[in-house]
Formats: sequence, C-alpha cells, structure tokens
Amino acid sequence: MSAAKRPNRLQLGVSLALAGLFMQPSMTFAQIDRRKAPEPGPAPQVTIGDHTAMDLPNGMKMIVVEDHRLPMVSVEVRFDQPPHVMGDLAAVPDLMGELLGAGTQWHTKAEIDESIDRLGARLSSGSNGVYAASLKKHFDKLLPIVFEVTARSTFPAEEFNKARDRYLSALKQREDDPDAIADEVARTLAYGKGHPYGEVVTPELVDKAARKHVAAYHKFHFRPEQGYLVFVGDITPAEARKLADRSFANWEVPEVVTDRSETGRISVDGLGELRLMLKVPRAGGVRSVSIVDRPGAPQSVVRVTFPVELNPADPRAAHAQVMNTILGGGVFNARLMQNLREDKAFTYGAYCSLQADRYVGRYTASTSVRTDVTDSAITEIMYEMERIREAPVTEEELTLVKNYLAGSFARSLEDPRTVARMVLRTYIDGLPPDHYDTYLQRLEAVTAEDVRRAAMVFLNPDQASVLVVGDKSAIGNRITPLSYRKSMAQLDVHGDPYREEVLPAPPGMTAEQVVEKYLEACGGSPTIAGIRDLHMRMTATMQGIPVTVDQYFSVPGKRLTVMRANGQELQREVLADGRAQRTSPTGTEDIIEMELEDMVFEAHPFPEERYAERGRMVLPGVVDLDGRKAYKVVMMADNGNGFTEYYDMESGFKLRREEFRTTAQGNLNIVTEYQDYRPENGIQFPHLIEQVAGMRMVLTVKEVAVNEGLDPALFVFEE
Amino acid sequence: MLATNAPAQMKPIAFTEFDLDNGLHVIVHEDRSTPIVAVSVMYHVGSKNEREDRRGFAHFFEHLLFEGSENIARGEFSKYVEGAGGVLNANTNGDRTYYYEVLPSNQLELGLWLESERMMHARVDQVGIDTQREVVKEERRQRYENQPYGSILIEVLKRAYTVHPYKWPTIGFMEDLNAASEKDYKDFYETYYVPNNAVLVVAGDVDPKEARRLVEAYFGPIARGRDLTRRQVEEPVLKGEVRDVVYDNIQLPAVVQAYRIPAYGTPDFYAVDMVNRLLSSGNSSRLQKALKDEQQKALYVGAFSFPFEDPGLAIAFAIANAGVDAQALEEAMDAEVLRLQQDLVQEEELAKLKAQLETEQVMDNARIAGVASNLASAYTFLGDARAASTEIERYLAITPKDIQRAATTYFNRDSRVVLHYLPKSQKN
Repeated sequence: MSAAKRPNRLQLGVSLALAGLFMQPSMTFAQIDRRKAPEPGPAPQVTIGDHTAMDLPNGMKMIVVEDHRLPMVSVEVRFDQPPHVMGDLAAVPDLMGELLGAGTQWHTKAEIDESIDRLGARLSSGSNGVYAASLKKHFDKLLPIVFEVTARSTFPAEEFNKARDRYLSALKQREDDPDAIADEVARTLAYGKGHPYGEVVTPELVDKAARKHVAAYHKFHFRPEQGYLVFVGDITPAEARKLADRSFANWEVPEVVTDRSETGRISVDGLGELRLMLKVPRAGGVRSVSIVDRPGAPQSVVRVTFPVELNPADPRAAHAQVMNTILGGGVFNARLMQNLREDKAFTYGAYCSLQADRYVGRYTASTSVRTDVTDSAITEIMYEMERIREAPVTEEELTLVKNYLAGSFARSLEDPRTVARMVLRTYIDGLPPDHYDTYLQRLEAVTAEDVRRAAMVFLNPDQASVLVVGDKSAIGNRITPLSYRKSMAQLDVHGDPYREEVLPAPPGMTAEQVVEKYLEACGGSPTIAGIRDLHMRMTATMQGIPVTVDQYFSVPGKRLTVMRANGQELQREVLADGRAQRTSPTGTEDIIEMELEDMVFEAHPFPEERYAERGRMVLPGVVDLDGRKAYKVVMMADNGNGFTEYYDMESGFKLRREEFRTTAQGNLNIVTEYQDYRPENGIQFPHLIEQVAGMRMVLTVKEVAVNEGLDPALFVFEE
Repeated sequence: MLATNAPAQMKPIAFTEFDLDNGLHVIVHEDRSTPIVAVSVMYHVGSKNEREDRRGFAHFFEHLLFEGSENIARGEFSKYVEGAGGVLNANTNGDRTYYYEVLPSNQLELGLWLESERMMHARVDQVGIDTQREVVKEERRQRYENQPYGSILIEVLKRAYTVHPYKWPTIGFMEDLNAASEKDYKDFYETYYVPNNAVLVVAGDVDPKEARRLVEAYFGPIARGRDLTRRQVEEPVLKGEVRDVVYDNIQLPAVVQAYRIPAYGTPDFYAVDMVNRLLSSGNSSRLQKALKDEQQKALYVGAFSFPFEDPGLAIAFAIANAGVDAQALEEAMDAEVLRLQQDLVQEEELAKLKAQLETEQVMDNARIAGVASNLASAYTFLGDARAASTEIERYLAITPKDIQRAATTYFNRDSRVVLHYLPKSQKN
C-alpha cells in the first residue's frame, strides 16, 4: 500500500487549500502529527567542565581547562589592573600591543612570524595580553615563543616607526567607516573623554607616543603579579606546569611605580604621572542628540547609550540580562528587532546590549536604518525602552528568553574556551567561585517583576546620548525634537564639537574675483553672454523610480523645468515675463514674492553674472571640501534669501551651494554639489549634480544643447 | 621524494548516510561530547540559478523561508527555535542556500519538524513579502553601500563575467527585488525547494537509529520534485585586462585584482588556492612580508580563492598606507606574483602551508555547526561527504611545480580585472 504524498507547494496568501488529499498511514512512516510542534525529550544535563588553578612562584595565576576532544591547545596570557587615564599617552597601549610580535631579545619580527607559520599556529597580541593556539603536537614549541613575545619584546625603533605609520593609516580608514565612527563617538558620549573607557586616539596622540613610552607601558602593565596564564585543550595540568616552569614561572619585572598617592595618582618610570579614574561616570543632564555628518550616506548608523552601574557580581545581573535580551539582546524575537525590522522594515537588524563591568557598565542600542527614517527609528527605540519600564513583560516573552539564555549557556560549553573564559572572569571580576555553576538557577528564578525593576533601575531613556552618523543635510531638523536640549550637537569623527576650519584666503582676493574666476573657467563672460538658449536633459532616480528632468532657458528671462517619470509629468515650473507658475498632479499655483524674485535672478544658466545685483558677497576664506581646497563665498541677499557657495581654488569651478529657502512648502535646507565638469559648445557644465532637499537626488546630465533654438510655446502658463 | 603526507591529526568525520525515496540525501554524524544537535539543509540553488531580471531572488527567497509554513504562523519559526534554547540562521551564495539550527539535543524532533515544514509547504503572505523586500534593501545598504570599499565584490563580478550569472552579486539589485511576482515565488519553490535537490545533515548528540526514524517520518511524505536540468553557462575566457577606477568615500586608495580560476574541486583549484595561501596566509607569507613589513606599502593585503561551482575567481585586495598611491601598490602586488611564476617554491615554504592547513582542518570542525556545514558542502560540491575529511589530501599533494604552473597559467596579467579604488577628492 502506498501513501499518497502531499505535494510540496508554496502557499501564498491566507487561505488554506484543503485539497482533499490526505495522508494514508503507512508502515514506513512513523505516526507524527505535524500540525503542531513536537514535544522535546528529557532535558540533557549541563555540566561545566573542571579546571585546575595554581599560583606560579612569581605571582602569576595559572589556569588549566583540560579537554581532549580535539588535538588543539590554546594559551592566553592576560594582564589586569584598574584602568588609568592615559591622557596624551592614549595611543601607547595599542602601539605596545601591536609591537609585541615585532622583535625580541633573540629574534626579529620576520623570524617570529616564520616560526609561528611553521608550526601552523596562530598568535595575536593586544594591549592586555597575548593569545596563541596550535595543534597539540606543536604546542611545546609554541609556548616559548608566546613567552618571548610577552616578556622579552624589545620594541625596535624601526618597527615602532612602521607601527606608528600603520596606526595613522588605520585611523584614516576608520574615519570613513560609519560603524567605527559610531562606536568610538558613542563611547565618548557614554563615559566622557576624561574616563579611561572614553579616551579616543587621534592622529595627534599617535604623534605624541614615543618608543620609550611603549617600553615603559609594557613594564607597567605586563607584570606577573597581575598576570594570568590560561591553558585550554589537549593538555594536562602537569604538562602545562612543566612548560610554564621553563618560561613564565620565573619571569620577573622590576618595580616601575615610584609613587602612589591617596587620590589615585601614581608616578610610573618612563610614563610620568597617571591617574586612576576614581569617579564613576553618570549620565549627565537630559537626553542629548548628536550627529556626525556623512554627506550622501544611504543609512544612518544610530547609537543610544549611557553609563550604567552594574557589577557582574550584582544579584540583579541575571534580571538585567533577561531584561536586555527581551528588549534587544540577540534573539530574533526581541522587541527592537521585531519593531524596527519585522514590523517597520527600517533596518536589517536592531539590538541593544547592557554590559556589566566592575568599574562602570554601559547600555547601548544599535541599528543602521535608511536615512529618511532616522527620526522614526530613534522614536521607536525610545518607545521600546519606555514600554519595558512601564509594563511587565509577557509570560511568553519571559519564558522564551529564559529558555534561550539557558540553551545558549549550554551550547557555549561546546567550546572549552568558554569554561576558561568563565574561570578568568571569576578571578578578574572577583566573582564567587560558584558564580557560573549557579547561573542556570539564578536565571530560572527571574520573574516579570524582576525584569521590570531592572528596566526601571538600569534603563535611562531620558538621560541617554543619542548619536547619529549620517547625512546631516538629508536628515535636516527632524531629529532635533528628540533632544531634550532643544538643539542638536554636530560632532567630528573623534567626538569633538565640529568646527569648520576656515583658513585665510590669499591677500587681496575678493568674493567677486572668485566668481569671475569661475566664469572664466566655464568659458569666459563673452562666450556666456552669447548664450541665447539652452536645453539640458538630466536623468535621476527618485525613491527607486527613474525620472527625467528637462531644463530650458531662453535668454532673457525665460526658464522651464519639467520632471517626468514613466512618461508622465510629475512637476513643471515655468518662468517668463516676470511671472512664474508651478504645476503638479494636484494642481497649479503661482510662484510669488521672494521665491519669484530668486527665480528671476536664476533665469539664466549662469546667474553668477547678476550676483552683484542681489546683495553683498563676502569671502570668509578657504576650507577643505572632501580633500580639495575651496573658496567659501557667502551671498547676503537683499531679500534675505542668501546662500553659501564653494569654488575650487585650483580649477575655479563651483563645487557646492548651500541655501536655506523659505517656500510655500515650508523651510528647506538645500545643498547642491557640482561634479564632472565637461565642455559643451565651448562652455563648461557640471555633468553630475547631487542635490539634497529633504531627500537626496543625483542628476546625471545627458544632453546639453546650446543655441539650437527653442519653441516659444514651451514657456506658456496654465490659465 | 615522498612528501610526508601523513594526513592531519584529525580523525575522519564518521557518519552514516542514506537516501529517501523522494531523493533527499541524509547524513547523520554522531558526537556525544556536548548535548547539542545541528540540523541543517543545503538546497542546491543559489544566485546563479536566477533570471537576469530577478537578480537577488535566491537570497530574498531565503528570507521568505523564515516566514512560516502551513502549520507555522508568521513569526513563529524563530520563536520555536529560540524558545527551545537554540539558534537559527541561513546563508546564500552563487551556488547554494543553507539553513541551519543548533538546538539542545532533546529538541532534535523540533529541528526536523521545522526543516521538513519548510521543504514541504512553506508559506508566505503579502505582508511578509513586502517586509522582507525592504529588509533586504536595508541589508544591501548596510553591508555594501554604506561601507568604505563595500562595493568591491559588485564591481569586480560585473567585469569578471560577461554572460555567466556570477556577474551579479547574490544580494541582487533593488529594482529587480521590486519586480518579483507571486508566480515567481511559486515557480522557484516548486523547482528548487524539493527533496531531490537537497541534503539534510543531522550532527551531534543523537542516536543514529532514532534520527533515521524521525527523518523518515518527517521528510518521507514530501513529494519528489521535477528532475532538475542545470543549464551550463560557458563563460568565455576573459580577453585582455579590464581596468577601471571606482571613486569612493575613502581616504586610502585600494587595489583589487581578480583572476579567473578553475571550478571548486578540480585539481588545479587546489593548486591555485595554494598560490593564494603562499601569497597571503600567515604573517610570513609573501604579500604580508613584502608589502606590509618590508616596503610598508599596504595597510592591509589579502589574496583569496572564491570557490564557485562553476569556474570562480582569485581575488587580491590591498589598502594602501597613507601616502602610497594605487599604482605603486599594484606594482608591488604584481612583483610577488611574478616571483612565484619565475622561482620554484622551496619545500620549506610549502611545509608551512601544510602545517596551517592541518590546523585549519581541526578548527573548522571544532564545532558541530561547522561539521554539519562541511559535510553538506562536501556532498553537494564534491559528490561525497567523506571529502570533508579527505580534501586536505588534495592540498598536501600539491608540489612546487604545480604551484609554479598554476601561478603562470591563471595569474595572467593579460586576462584579469584590475580596479583602483580612489578617494572622491581625486576625481577631476
């Protein structure tokens, strides 16, 4: 007897197709009811592996987590001390970490690299230690290299210079990376730049770091009495100890701290005075909104952050973890993900984290959203943060998250390094020895009321710092209302207040001369005066739809702009004989007053010829515009509708125009950029125009026809 | 001279396998060391199966297959997995789409139910389609458009291939995503999401007999699909060097070079991969040592094989240190390839690569999710799941002469794509 098989088919729509087909039970197939989820079997036991801990003669703590499932051994050397404010030396720890593999008493960088690769091993180093791993059979040769790199690095001058140059390049690269900018600036907002966690490395600080500082910091931080040596994998404690005895066990570093004061200041050989940060940062003032401008960015990278006092040993830590997971902590069903992605499709992902820390913890919500929904996305994040404080979470959410966290804990034990990490954290954070053994019990005990209380205590939407890394012109004023400070701060990529740097123009240079130079570069006044008519056809994409824009000029005083999509007219603007009109699918209206005045001035493809009639021009100086030096020219128009323009110092071409326009539709900030100048009929025109007026449009010039005659019937009005 | 090709210390991955009547291939790997299980399905469909006016459809479809089934409401799929203490995800590339869950081992039946529901009668409604379309657009913006150098793969592929579907990226294009219709979804599902086009892997703390019983119960009733005819697209040889400049929001110039290489699994594929490893695997490798340490031309440099089912690409990518221009960087990259073409590699250097490969093999199979993925890939692309364990032998058999020949044959200046990524401020 054969079973009638259900054909597999993709069901679209809500209706269920009851096809009259049904499954004949067959001897081959077990009886299952796939209409509902199957029940699980009995829950498996979760056991955290054992570890061995011992103190080495020099004060280093050695930990071994034995696991013979794979023929691999890893070793981590970690140093820990309370964080100090590094100030001018902020670049030193990273440089030290980078230079650990770059030369020792006995081997050059090349020799060390070669040795590691010969063992098929991996080795990485950072400002807090060294990590290495290899197959078991090579490990006895690997550990001496790890020791040498950790304890016997000499930071050769040549390598220092190379590392410093690489660091400067890396900083340049990070300045282009919106996620890196967001993470860094968010840190400064959460902790403040004066706190060790909020310090930022700038190119100036890299220049301030010297080789001697690196060597001194190494002796200050990489010390056995504050060091841990953690072995994980296919190794016994006896084997590990034998290897450690040959290297780490007797390593000593002479004292370098010459003075400790009560107020947390210490003097360190070669580094000068360092400060312990004794004050815990607290969210200051009311909610703020800051932006780091990235013109043209298709998405805004958003961070909402504030410091949190949450020690890992705090009995509420499990409540806080459950609360954060329900809100946005990595489960697909978290509130931020379901709201911003699955409901509103603003983003590919939205998350939040609540980090516990011995000194000061931190909350951060993160997402990258389409530019035009930046304000809506932030509003939703705030809404979710407030909602989880106002009402208890549902039993369904609570159960799902508790089960998820328990399962996640169990799954993480697949990797023996998880156990090592737990042991290390127990020592470093001063946790009770059974902290992780009792985790699942603490998790199971969390109630909805616990979660709500944790949200009340640890979430702080009213004092949060909101950061957007995105297109300032396109976002406009829409995120300012989210600030409780009535204004939005603009920051640079390092989190400092943004300051446009204006250098003095060459002496004697005037705004008029800049404009004249532009007209010369375009073909010269006589040639421009010879324009009788002009037709320019441009293409663009507006919200995914291809549009064509045709602009016609008939000198003097006539201009027509028509925008079409799919063969249909979207908008038409016509100016003739001192009168102007705008037509759209909703109707026709006259353009009047200031808007009309400006249109009359702009009735020529080169309105610059008439700038003197419009008002007074000033030349504040020279600025850097995307790496090019440009004259900044400000037009203070008699009718109040001024604008600012930027002209390339070298070529003379106009690069950019910014204007704030009052129109019948409201106030608009309009930014236009001009690129790709090419000659048509002996006159230079930009062939790529990017304009942001609430939304961004990129226009490509396809055709330019000069003096080919235009039908006067083009410039007619709707009556 | 016999090379010491003692295979890696890793024990071969043990498994059992069988076929269901409907063509589904099933692989079961038992590993009792941690109480977890990975359940995964690899469908042999990727972006190369798309129509040219539906680029991005396969990946979009992957999103849609989380939207539910006849028995699973929208939003419930992930709730079942996370509520059971598991994780789930999926990924798509030019050749295949892969779905997986990792669950506590007492939830094996849940994993099988979910994947069988997906295969038997997945369900998507208009809300889901509209939402996921916008989500995929945000994914594209986040991963490609809003990142410095983010467009590199897109710019390389469209020049490296002229007729083959590999010429467009798996993420696709917004306008094509807008155009997909109800009929498109049904056709795609009924053609490709069928048991005879898939392999199911169950790996972890399971009893193979019980696993088999459950697999047969959940997947047995799924009807076999039509036999698939895979159209072969012959991509002509790249004639000449295709050079271009891309202006980006960057400060440091970058160089990308792409060479066409043999398909994954062919003997020469492994030789080419060894060339790439020689060039950039490990700090003592050719490019790292010369370009980063000695000449300080590169902040970052890497050379990788892109293993495609049809002939793929070797891509070298370098970001210049501040003050270094793209031309100088490119010349330095070419010089290292030239050295490999002219001078035979010493056995010592080859031994380094082999040591790295041994370590990699163990690390790639350290977690059950990795084992499941490797078994599925080996079956789908190499025709035999055992290759997940034995593939390393193909690497270990490569000789210095093989490397020289591969470098000369495939890393050809007269047949490649070269892009310079330059700061926008350098335009005009």
